[in-house]
Amino acid sequence: MDRQAEDNKRKDKTKLLYNIAKRIAVVSAVLAGILSVLMIVNTIQTKAVDPLNSQAISQLMTRLEENPEDTALKEQIRALDLLARKAYFTHQWQIKTGSYLLFSFVLVLLLAVKYMSSLQPRLPDLSKSPEPDESWESKLLSRKTILFAGLGLFILAFFLGILSQTELKNIGIVRTGESQDTDAFPDIDEIRDNWPGFRGPEGIGKAYHTDVPTGWDGPSGQNILWKTPIPHPGYNSPIIWGKRIFFSGADRRAQVVYCVDADTGEILWQTELNDIPGSPERRPQVTEDTGYAAPTMTTDGQRVFALFATGDIACLDFDGNRIWAKNLGMPDNHYGHASSLITYRDRLLVQFDQNSGGHLLALKTLTGDLVYDQPRDVEVSWASPILVNTGSRTELILNSNPFVISHDPQTGQELWRVRCMQGEIAPSPAYADNMVYVVNDYARLAAITLGETPDVAWEYIDDLSEVSSPLATKDLVIMAASYGTVTCFESKSGERLWVQEFNEGFYSSPILVGDFVYLMDFSGVVYVFKAEREFRLISQNELGEDAMTIPAFMHNRIYIRGEKNLFCIGD
Amino acid sequence: MTDKIAKKPIKRRDFMRKSLHAVAGLTTGGLAGILFSKSSSEEMVWQLDPNICIQCEKCSVNCVLPHSAVKCVHSYSMCGYCDLCSGYLQPGTKSRDTGAESQLCPSGAIKRTYVEDPYFEYTIDEELCVGCGKCVKGCNSFGNGSLYLQVRHDRCLNCNQCSIARRCPSRAWKRVPASQPYILKGDESQRFLKS
Amino acid sequence: MLRRSKIFIVALFFLFPLLSLSQVPERFPKPDFQTDYTRPDLLTPTPRSTALEYVDVGVLVIALSLATYLAHKQRSRRNIFLLMVFSLAYFGFYRKGCVCSIGAVQNVSLALFNPAYAIPVFVIVFFVLPLILALFYGRTFCAAVCPLGAVQDAVVLKPTNVPGWLASILGVFPYMYLGLAILLAATGAGFVICQYDPFIGFFRFGADFNMVIFGMSMLLLGTVVARPYCRFLCPYGVLLNWMSRLSKRHVRITPDECNNCRLCEESCPFGAIKKPDEAAPPVSKEAEVKKLAFLLVLLPVIVFGSGWIGSRLDIPLSRLHSTVSLAEEILLENSGQRTEMTDSTRAFRASGKPTEELFAEASVIRDQFKVGGWILGGFIGLVLCLKLINLFIRRRQLEYDVDKGTCLSCGRCFAYCPFEQVRLGLITPEEAEKMGTREVRIKQFRA
Repeated sequence: MDRQAEDNKRKDKTKLLYNIAKRIAVVSAVLAGILSVLMIVNTIQTKAVDPLNSQAISQLMTRLEENPEDTALKEQIRALDLLARKAYFTHQWQIKTGSYLLFSFVLVLLLAVKYMSSLQPRLPDLSKSPEPDESWESKLLSRKTILFAGLGLFILAFFLGILSQTELKNIGIVRTGESQDTDAFPDIDEIRDNWPGFRGPEGIGKAYHTDVPTGWDGPSGQNILWKTPIPHPGYNSPIIWGKRIFFSGADRRAQVVYCVDADTGEILWQTELNDIPGSPERRPQVTEDTGYAAPTMTTDGQRVFALFATGDIACLDFDGNRIWAKNLGMPDNHYGHASSLITYRDRLLVQFDQNSGGHLLALKTLTGDLVYDQPRDVEVSWASPILVNTGSRTELILNSNPFVISHDPQTGQELWRVRCMQGEIAPSPAYADNMVYVVNDYARLAAITLGETPDVAWEYIDDLSEVSSPLATKDLVIMAASYGTVTCFESKSGERLWVQEFNEGFYSSPILVGDFVYLMDFSGVVYVFKAEREFRLISQNELGEDAMTIPAFMHNRIYIRGEKNLFCIGD
Repeated sequence: MTDKIAKKPIKRRDFMRKSLHAVAGLTTGGLAGILFSKSSSEEMVWQLDPNICIQCEKCSVNCVLPHSAVKCVHSYSMCGYCDLCSGYLQPGTKSRDTGAESQLCPSGAIKRTYVEDPYFEYTIDEELCVGCGKCVKGCNSFGNGSLYLQVRHDRCLNCNQCSIARRCPSRAWKRVPASQPYILKGDESQRFLKS
Repeated sequence: MLRRSKIFIVALFFLFPLLSLSQVPERFPKPDFQTDYTRPDLLTPTPRSTALEYVDVGVLVIALSLATYLAHKQRSRRNIFLLMVFSLAYFGFYRKGCVCSIGAVQNVSLALFNPAYAIPVFVIVFFVLPLILALFYGRTFCAAVCPLGAVQDAVVLKPTNVPGWLASILGVFPYMYLGLAILLAATGAGFVICQYDPFIGFFRFGADFNMVIFGMSMLLLGTVVARPYCRFLCPYGVLLNWMSRLSKRHVRITPDECNNCRLCEESCPFGAIKKPDEAAPPVSKEAEVKKLAFLLVLLPVIVFGSGWIGSRLDIPLSRLHSTVSLAEEILLENSGQRTEMTDSTRAFRASGKPTEELFAEASVIRDQFKVGGWILGGFIGLVLCLKLINLFIRRRQLEYDVDKGTCLSCGRCFAYCPFEQVRLGLITPEEAEKMGTREVRIKQFRA
């Protein structure tokens, strides 16, 4: 009897404790639930409007910039700022305290529930026979499940693997990172067989295709094979490789590279380059006679390269696909960047002389990676480099203020420098027979002999060119001024041989074609005269529109970019 | 008869188990040995290199702690004590005062006090600093670069994988030995090198 | 050409991406103070002393030994529970759950494959010690020492039985997680176990919002499915499972022998009790042997095939590595498919590092993922095949015993066994013999 009563008492006590635990559990569960919801809502709210990056305050700040003395506005900002900071730190405190509170509620809940479950053991229903969990139905089902799940997993992974594409494979980068094989860049004969850059192969204004017409007439169409209008303006000259002509154009909105078929004049493709990473949001300040696409393009036979006044430089293949593009930084140049591009083996060379200092940049033609950045202590320049073999080595010679500097194109190292220039340099150097000729108006025309210590051999100070680059042969040096005066000198001595006045001025540079010199004035008239000690005009040919560019000379053909059209001249 | 047959499979199974047991033990022991040969006795902690940091503001957002363990520190030896402090004042601000519209810091953690003419002292209140790096950007662009972000090891939990390090765009985060837990600028950079 | 005066723009200087911003010049000279002002000191609070890490190791050793003792010798569920609470408090809330044995798997992987990483000694201990103990005494670590297990165990309220087929398929996930975690840690892509640890947010009182939601969901799930992370996700559990299966001295439900009284049948919330199975299977033995033979022949094919599939996953998996994803972003920008730079690409371009170097690094990492993919794929294929083979093998189970691989040595089942009650002196051996043959009340007790 006693034991029965004892047992009953214990049973009642346990039941009471159980119920108390149950009540505690329910209460803490509810509290924990409410607190969780509150904290989640709080967090979501703060994520939506971050008090420390408040839109309202930024708007008021922009208003303050316009009215800096508005004290009422200042007070408003200060009040809002205080509220924002309070909100932020209060939220921090709320999360912290909320977490601790939530933790304690959950702890109480768990203790209560654990107590409850300890009073209720899990007993099997002994009336039913045991269900072995290794029953064959269960096993067979498990087998099937694993089979199907495994198959499903494999198929999923298979398709994920097959369908994954990556650009990383297609770039064709050599794993070892060494330079490309020698087939990748053209040799000197290939270069001379084409017109790959500003002022022709090597950039010295010498054409190697001499079987070109000496007479044509734009307005009547005589000897004009085709004429193609150019949508976007630019002062860069056309370059040619094989049967493709490349040039670029740009205005305030667009930067475009064109490819025209050399035989038909049809525009094969035009690629817009408007979304280059790092490109400045606003176009730079340029003058009208420089424009946004002053630098002439260049090619290495497989790719073409274009540079614009924004500092955007891009590499396209011969089909117009973009291979790489980057921004070199907005040039600090008050007229607009004009220096043209040139390639040397696997390097693309950029004369990047600005107000804030001069640089010679070399980029890998394949990837656009910087190979070297050679600083130059010169002023801003608009001249372009020439790349010549001076007998024992290849030199990259740049004209700038105050030095003419020769660099090793492979490493960028300076080879020699001569101080002889001043002012705003636009004419590029000329080279012939171990002598370099540079000119700038308000400075001089200087002839520099190369050797152990290059130095000025002779100079001339009248009728100097300010844009047009001089032309040099073994015997002669010819210079054209922008007000129409053309002067010819004996190359070694500097003796002035003849002076000729023309109606219009010259920005375009004289080009040597065999024994003749082709020189185009502002109005597009091309004068052909003999490269002799006396001036002898062979012909005078009208184009029909203004032109400031350099004509390109290929087998039997001359290509001239006028202001509006690209002309092909041939017999 | 049945006994023997019963014993044989059990013995075989037991032998399998024993040999696998030995293999497992040896493998684990061997692994431990290899690992000990590559081990360091010192713990590694996280730190960011202020010379690589680009002040992208991700440090304030990505720390697992609600209040980021990355705070701005001030190298007083490098500071110019300027009146026109580009780390304290908003760029283009007209008045050099402590008004909220002039201050760069969104949480008001930088305190400016007058020292002597024309010098002002700038101190950081770490309780208020959120580690966003706006002041660091300003100081680096137009000042001496004396303000910079660092992980504070009285707050950092030293997670096995730092959530900020994972997302740093300039890869400025690295593991450093606990005896040299800071990458400091200025004269203070010598502090941990001596030990 | 018109001549103009130069316009000097300061801000352009900072747009020039080739200029590295790392070396900031001293623009303003250091002040020369006339008053006796002294510069304040830069405080550099030190991190937690390394010596304390060894204290943690000591606590681990003691806890593990105690857990083993409590499970094997004392067989007290209550004490195991109390030890579990202590571990939760110490390793969980005090040490903030880091470094844990589960995460140590990644540190070990990284140490094995990256010579530049020096693994701290105590991490090695955290990794190796529970494994060695499991090899000899079973998974006592899981029951009483692991903080993640402890927090899940604490929320077990109304556990349900997971059906066999579901458990077997879910049981594949830990293997996949383990393989993936090792691969990603070894290649330096990151520590996924730490990243997706649902419970550490609670220990730290701070986590990414999504992880908090994940953690809460896991805990809520844990109220009805006991220890979901331990059973179906924990990668370290795979290793412990292997070790524990080979152990000789594993805990048993009964301290003595089993008389099939069935009272412990429903006592395990984790489904780790093996029940005696029926006499003969209702399928023909020949058919079974044929299927098994077929499976064994196919095994190398499947392993090779899944290894091949794994190797093809090198592209998507390698993208998880920051170097490879940066290289791809640079490529997308360079080829014009993306027009906005990201912070990472901008920072990379400003650093002046040649992209060729980056691409070369990314290629090397992709190759590592190719090799790793072979191994991972082959491993998963092997695991699936072995699980399938296991379902063909018939083991005669004559009594109630624990599944050595999945039993966590938590001791919940001890109290249900009548022979345990005999050991504790609560009932007589004769009463114990009678239990199960009839419905007899079990006495409530506190052990």
